[in-house]
Amino acid sequence: MKNPDAIVIGAGVVGAACALELSRAGMKVLVLDRGSIASGTTGSGEGNILVSDKEVGPELDLALRSRNKWFEIADEIGNEFELEPKGGIVVAKSNQGLSSLKILVEAQKHAGVIADEVDREELHDLEPYLSHEFESGILYSQDAQCQPMMAAAQMLKWAKNRGAHLEVGAKVISIESDSQGVSSVFTEKETYYSRIVINAAGTWAGEIAALAGSKLPISPRKGFILVTHPAPNVVRHKVYDADYVANVASGEADLQSSAVVEGTRSGTILIGASRERVGFDSSLNISVLRILAAQAIEIFPVLAQIPLLRAYHGFRPYAPDHVPVIGEDARLKGLWHCAGHEGAGIGLAPASADIIAAQILGNSTFMDATPFSPRRFELVK
Amino acid sequence: MNSVIPPEKRVTFTFDGKTMTAISGQTLAAALLRNGIRTLRKTRKESKPRGLFCGIGICFDCLVVINGQLNQRACIVEVRDGLIVETQDGVGSS
Amino acid sequence: MSAALAAADAGAQVLLLESNLRLGGQYWRHLPENGLNSWAGQSALQSDYQKGFLLRNRVSSNPNIEVLCGAQIWSATSEDSVTVNFLYDGVSHSFETQSLVLATGAYDRALPFPGWDIPGVMTPGAAQALLKGSHVLAGKKIVVAGTGPFLLPVANGLVQAGGEVVGHFEAQRLRSWISHSRIAVRNFHKVFQGMRYLRLIRQERGFAVVSAHAGVDGQLEFVRVAKIDSDFRIKNGSERKIYCDVAAVGWGFTPDLSIAHSLGLNFIEGQDGYPVVAVDALQRTSDPRIFAAGEITGIGGSDLSLTEGAIAGRAAADRLQNINPTVTLKSLSRARTLRLRQRKFANTLVKIYSVKDGWRSWLTPETIICRCEEVTAETLKESLVSLGATNSRSVKLLTRVGMGACQGRICSRAAVEIIAAEQKMKATVEDHISAGNRPIFSPITLGQLAQEPIAYDAL
Repeated sequence: MKNPDAIVIGAGVVGAACALELSRAGMKVLVLDRGSIASGTTGSGEGNILVSDKEVGPELDLALRSRNKWFEIADEIGNEFELEPKGGIVVAKSNQGLSSLKILVEAQKHAGVIADEVDREELHDLEPYLSHEFESGILYSQDAQCQPMMAAAQMLKWAKNRGAHLEVGAKVISIESDSQGVSSVFTEKETYYSRIVINAAGTWAGEIAALAGSKLPISPRKGFILVTHPAPNVVRHKVYDADYVANVASGEADLQSSAVVEGTRSGTILIGASRERVGFDSSLNISVLRILAAQAIEIFPVLAQIPLLRAYHGFRPYAPDHVPVIGEDARLKGLWHCAGHEGAGIGLAPASADIIAAQILGNSTFMDATPFSPRRFELVK
Repeated sequence: MNSVIPPEKRVTFTFDGKTMTAISGQTLAAALLRNGIRTLRKTRKESKPRGLFCGIGICFDCLVVINGQLNQRACIVEVRDGLIVETQDGVGSS
Repeated sequence: MSAALAAADAGAQVLLLESNLRLGGQYWRHLPENGLNSWAGQSALQSDYQKGFLLRNRVSSNPNIEVLCGAQIWSATSEDSVTVNFLYDGVSHSFETQSLVLATGAYDRALPFPGWDIPGVMTPGAAQALLKGSHVLAGKKIVVAGTGPFLLPVANGLVQAGGEVVGHFEAQRLRSWISHSRIAVRNFHKVFQGMRYLRLIRQERGFAVVSAHAGVDGQLEFVRVAKIDSDFRIKNGSERKIYCDVAAVGWGFTPDLSIAHSLGLNFIEGQDGYPVVAVDALQRTSDPRIFAAGEITGIGGSDLSLTEGAIAGRAAADRLQNINPTVTLKSLSRARTLRLRQRKFANTLVKIYSVKDGWRSWLTPETIICRCEEVTAETLKESLVSLGATNSRSVKLLTRVGMGACQGRICSRAAVEIIAAEQKMKATVEDHISAGNRPIFSPITLGQLAQEPIAYDAL
C-alpha cells in the first residue's frame, strides 16, 4: 500500500484506535511500527480505563467519552479483549480523609462521573479482604479494565478487514514534506506517500516529530508493576487509598500518591502507582518494588502471604503539562499527533482517536479539543 | 518398597481430611504418591487434573495448600508430623 | 561445592548459597545421610555417589566455607557491587560481593507432546527424585523415554528398586554413535559405564513416546510409542500402545540462566542451539567480578562441572587477592587440559543426543504448550496468523505463554522454537534470552518483599 489515505505511526493501543476510526470512515490506512503490535507502552499496560483518577477538566471529559467508546467498540468488533466494567474504589481510613476528597468527587459528579459514597459495611461487602482500617470509600462504577495488547491486536485486525494495512518491523527513518505539508514517510525498506500522517508513537512521539522536522516535548516516565501469583477473587475492583490527598481546596487533588491494587480476569493481582509519584529512574529498583509491596499490604493485608510472580516496568509518555497531545502539528500541515497519554493511554485511546479522526475529516469534535492541541507548546517560549 | 514404617521414622499428616503416613525425610509429593494420590489439583481455566511433573520445584504443577498456606510445591516440601494438606482450588482462592 | 572448596583452598572466605535443603544440587540431590548403606545399592553408581558424599563432607567441615541451605535467591543485580537478595528461614536477606561464582545448573528439558500434562507423565528427573530422595517408585508400570544418557541410570534405578519398567525408549539410533566413534573410543571408560546399564535393562532405540492418554479418572492410562526417523518424524504404521501409570520422558537438559540473565552477562550459542553463559579459560564471564561453571556454561555432566568449578573457585579467589591472571592460568594448566578433554566429550554427547525438529510434527492443535496458562499450540499459531504477533515477545503478550507460575522455565524453550518455525525461521539465542527474562527468580511473598532485607554479614 504505497499511497494510503493516512499513515499511522505506532501499532499500540492509540495507533490501533486511530486505524479503527479512520478505516470505519472509509479511509485506506497504513499502520507502521518499528517493532510488533503493542511493543511499546501498551505492552506494559495494566489495561486501566478510568474516570476516577481524573481531575475535573478536559482530560476527565475525554476519559468519560472514551470509557463509553470502549464499550461501543467491544459491541462493534466483539469483546475478545476482556473488557469488563469492574469499577474502582477509592478508600479512606478516616472520615477526614474522605471529606477532603468529597469536594473533588462532587465536582467530578457534576462533570458526569458516577460516584457513590459507600459506608463501612458496603465497603467491606465490595472488598472483603480490605484492611479493617478503612472505614469508607467512593465507588466509581464506570471504571473498567481490558487486556491492552489484545485490544490493540483486535482493533487492528478489524481495521485490516476494512482494508487497513499493517507493516511491523518497519522503522520510520524520515518524514518528508513539501509546500503543501506532509508528503511521504520513509522506512528502512520502503517509501509511502500520504498527506495525512498520525504520530501515535507514544514514548517515541518526540523522535517521530523530529524526523518530520517538528518538535513535540514527550518524555518517558518509568513505572513498575508487580504481578502476583493468581489469587482469584481477592481483589475485585481497582482499589486505591485516598488518605494522602493533598490540597483539595485548590482543586489540585492528587489521588495517585499510593499504590493501586487490582485483580485481573486471570486471578493475578497487579500493583502499580497509576501516576508515578514513586518516579525512580533506574532499572529494576528493588526499593521501589518494596515500597509498592508495603503500600499494597496496607490496603490488603492478605497480600503479605501472596507470592510475587514477576515485576516489570514500562515507560509512560508524558508532556510537560501532563495533558495528552491531540491535534495537528503547529508547523507541519498533515502531521497529526495523538500521543503523550502518560498512564492513561489505554483508557483515553478511543476518544483521542475520535477527535483526531473528526479533525482530519473536517467534522466537529465531540468536545473542544483546544486544550490538547500541540499548538499550546508554541505559545510558551 | 511400601513396607511397614518403623515408628521412629513414621510421620502422620492429613490430606483433605484423610490421615496418611509417610517416612520422615520424604517429600510431600512422594508421600502422597505412596498413598495413592497422583492428581494434586485441577487447572484454573479448563479444570484439567495435574500431578507431579518436574519433581524439583520449577514447574509449579504440584501446588497444594499446607497448613493454610497456598501455592506450596509438594515436591520440595518435606513431610512432617501434623501437616494439614489440602487440594488447592485452581491456583488458590483464599 | 567444587568451586567453594577450590576458593577456600586458595585462601578465600566463601559463602555458599544452596537452594535445596541439602548440598548436592540436582546430580547429587539425594546423597544418603549416613554412609552408602541406607538405600538400595546401585553398584554402578556407588563410586560416583561416594565422590559426592566426600565432597559434601569436605565442604561442610571446611571452616572457611559458610553454607546456607534452603537459601532461595529471588533477585540479583549488578551495579557498583553484585547484590544478591535471598530468602533464608522465611526472612529476606541481601548481600553484596565483588566476587561471585555462579553454578546454577540445569533441569530436565521437556518437550510438549499430546497428553504430556496428564498426571503420571513426568520428567526422568522427577522419577529419579522420587526414588533416590524419597524411596518411592513413581508408579507400578513405568515407561522411560526421550533422549540422552540420563535415561539409562533412571531406568536402571527403577528396575533395581523393584519397579516394572514396561518400556525404555531412546530416540537416537546407534548410528549416531558410529559417526562419533573416535571420541567414543577416547572416552571409553565413560561409554563403558553407560553400556553397563544396558546389561540390566533393554533399551529400544529409534523410538519415542509421541502421545499420552488418560483413563476415565483423568490419569495416565497408556502412551503411544512410535518408530521415528533420524529427523524424529513418525514412521507411519509403527505406533503401538503401552499401558502404564507413569511415563518419565526427558530430552536432555536446559541450563538455568535466570540469574546470569539478570546480572547482565553475555551469552553465546551452546552446542544444542540454546544459549549458555560465555566464559574464558578461567571461567570468567563478561563481568570480571562474576565467574560461571557447570551446566550454565554448556551441558556437560558432573565430571566437567567439578573441573570447571575448581577452576572458577580458584580464579575467583586469586582475583580477590589481586593475583595476576596469567599466574592463575599457569597453575591451573592441568585442570584446563582436563577440562578441554571433558568438554570435547560432553559436546559430542550433546550432538549425539540432539533433539531433531520432527518432534513438532507430533503436536496437535490442542496440545498444551504452556502448562501454567494452558495455552495450546493452536493459540500460539493463531496469534501469529490473525493477531499480528511477529515474534516471541508479542506472542507472549497476546497469549500469555510463559507468563504463568513457572515463568516459562518449562515451556519457553519449546514455545520459542515453535514460533520461529511458524515463521520459517530458526530460533536465535536472542529469542531464547528474551523469553528467559525473569527478574524475580523464585516466589517471594509481598510480605517478604516489603521487609527491609537483613544485610547478610558472612563469616
